[in-house]
Amino acid sequence: MNTVDEILDYAIDQEQQAADFYASLAKRAEKAGMKEILLEFAEEEKRHKERLLAVKSGDHELTPEQEVLDLKISDYLVEVDASDDISYQDALIVAMKRERAAYELYSDMAEKVPESNLRQVFVGLAKEEAKHKLFFESEYDERVLMDN
Amino acid sequence: MNLKDLLSPFFVWQRAFEKPYTSMRPTIDRPGAPAYRGFHINVAETCVGCGSCHTICQNHAIDMVPVEQFQGRPGDSGLRPRFDYGRCCWCGLCVDICTAASLRMSNEYAWITEDPTEFHFTAGVDDKAWQDNEHGYRRAEGYHLYPPKRIEMDMLSPEESVQSFDEVARGYNEEQAKKEADRCVECGICVATCPAHMDVPDYIHSIRDGDYEKGLQLMYRTNPFPATCGRICTRRCESVCPVGILGEPVAIRWLKRFIVDQVDAGEYTRILNNDAVVESGHRVAIIGAGPGGLSAAYYLRQYGHAVSVFEAQASAGGMLRYGVPSYRLPDADLDKDIEYIVSLGVEMNYNTRIGKDISFEQLLQDYDAVFLSTGLSVPSSMRIQGEDHPRVLSGLQVLADVANGRDPGIGRKVAVIGGGNVAMDASRVSRRLGGDVTILYRRRIADMPADTEEIHESQEEGCTIVPQAIPVEIVDAADSSQVTIKWGEAEMVQDPKGGRPRPVLQEDRMHEESYDCIISAIGQGSNLDYLSREIQDQLAIEWGKFSPGEYQHTGLARVFVGGDVANRTADAISAIEDGHHAARGINRFLNPDAYPNNNTSPDTTRSEGEQQ
Repeated sequence: MNTVDEILDYAIDQEQQAADFYASLAKRAEKAGMKEILLEFAEEEKRHKERLLAVKSGDHELTPEQEVLDLKISDYLVEVDASDDISYQDALIVAMKRERAAYELYSDMAEKVPESNLRQVFVGLAKEEAKHKLFFESEYDERVLMDN
Repeated sequence: MNLKDLLSPFFVWQRAFEKPYTSMRPTIDRPGAPAYRGFHINVAETCVGCGSCHTICQNHAIDMVPVEQFQGRPGDSGLRPRFDYGRCCWCGLCVDICTAASLRMSNEYAWITEDPTEFHFTAGVDDKAWQDNEHGYRRAEGYHLYPPKRIEMDMLSPEESVQSFDEVARGYNEEQAKKEADRCVECGICVATCPAHMDVPDYIHSIRDGDYEKGLQLMYRTNPFPATCGRICTRRCESVCPVGILGEPVAIRWLKRFIVDQVDAGEYTRILNNDAVVESGHRVAIIGAGPGGLSAAYYLRQYGHAVSVFEAQASAGGMLRYGVPSYRLPDADLDKDIEYIVSLGVEMNYNTRIGKDISFEQLLQDYDAVFLSTGLSVPSSMRIQGEDHPRVLSGLQVLADVANGRDPGIGRKVAVIGGGNVAMDASRVSRRLGGDVTILYRRRIADMPADTEEIHESQEEGCTIVPQAIPVEIVDAADSSQVTIKWGEAEMVQDPKGGRPRPVLQEDRMHEESYDCIISAIGQGSNLDYLSREIQDQLAIEWGKFSPGEYQHTGLARVFVGGDVANRTADAISAIEDGHHAARGINRFLNPDAYPNNNTSPDTTRSEGEQQ
């Protein structure tokens, strides 16, 4: 990945893969109501993809300077399997951890690339992923941790 | 007739061109005395439309009328007082009784208009010049027509209460109950807020009259668990009681309990007179003998339907028996409610688990309708490392063990995780079992979903609450009989998108502590494994809960749902109302001819369910 477009293409592909992952999990979901929820997750990933496509076409800008709140919820939760009988709590954990992994990947890349232009793109992508992580962590805080 | 008689009309006409003797406006500007009882001023935004002014007015000069900008909501009827100055005698009683202190009087007394209908006006809503008048009569500071403080309930001291599982609240005596009942202004704001819409003003009135049998009859119209709710109700009624605006709300829950405590269970059959039920020939199955299921059973029997209840446990009551400790709800009082319901001819099938002992499909085949009220019985998981440690117990299990007379084996030094009622109950039970209890809660004490009274009492009984403490890992302790929890302090951070502040772990402020056991009580979910996937798909399930239709019906014809597994509030009184409402729905479904606009028939039920 040597150009901004290549980096963005990779990130867009990752979002599409995430959408496909949730859509495929939704097909197999056994627990009542989970199919709809997982399809909502897939839609959310498609929105992420649309946003990056807009960045690539110049209609939208990444915001590397923006501070994003980190609730650090997923950081201390155990890994869970994306099994067919996945619960809502576990589906959220899977989603949070995926966003966290993406955030860490782009953050690492930002540190490694020498060119400042590319570094800004990676930082901007990391911030995007941090926002996605915040979205799912807020949902977890609201729905799963509501009594706690 | 003489000539003068003929000419006099013409002389009268000449007066028409003279200056009139009456004056359109007073010529002398003479203000009223500073405390004059002049035209009324109402701060309509503060007023809650309780209607106490209307009730107390001896001249019937005040009507409560709907006002467009004030919609009815919990604690506000949406009505505002409209005055008729043809009737008002300016006594000021309305000001003296006003529960919100929104009503006062100006020292204005001159009002000239050619339109007499203007003398009917809605104070604080209709634009009047005196609305901002600084003078006039108002209630003296500290003066109340009713005592602002409630009659204290006798309670065991915290030192006594932790010694046993004896009931902490001892109940009102007759004198106390009558004094407390006298504080009620009978406004009925509470009725709209109570999920079961209990007739609170009238049953409190029955205490004033000393007619406890009537009080019992009134309560059973909408709630067959008055002994229970008189002790552990979440009492949303009290949170909106207008008497609580300037003082303490009427102790509605304790007054309910007082009525039930005055009536011997052996008298219920005579007083409630349920013998006149005519059997309908229809059969209804109920899954779950908690408050939702048994409330449905009670009202279904009123309709004459045969009722069979299927309960997985050995006794009825659900969370009321296995989740609420006996120091809050003694078994004898819960049984008083349950035994009367069962005495109406309800067939109870204990130790019978649907999906294992009998299939759900079999019930559908054998009965005309089925009501599901299976509650939330599965403890939520923290999903942190080490949670499966043998010294980590669930709050629900600890409470069930104690209810069944088993030793939950908590040891001495106990940490409880959570801030809901189960966490508080598990903590207070642990204190009674000799534990030193620390409660770890991830947000602030003010954010705890538990009843404030329970939080307060748990602290009084010696439980230590550590707020803003987030558990991150559980590991083996150096002492193999213990367990160690790692937790970090949290800062509350405003959510940029709004909503309540969120706790954020501060990784530089981590702690670890060893305990004999950790009790996890962070919430609970449903277990719907007794329903096949095909059935579940037809029942409209969201977030592990049913989403019932208007009459608690579902997308599957003949199946109705209610209780914690089908509502958001997950408290006993909501489950009781769900059961009552489901009974209405089931009766409509079973008697379609009696309800021409029936919307619970199989066809419409299915289509409505699919739309959800």
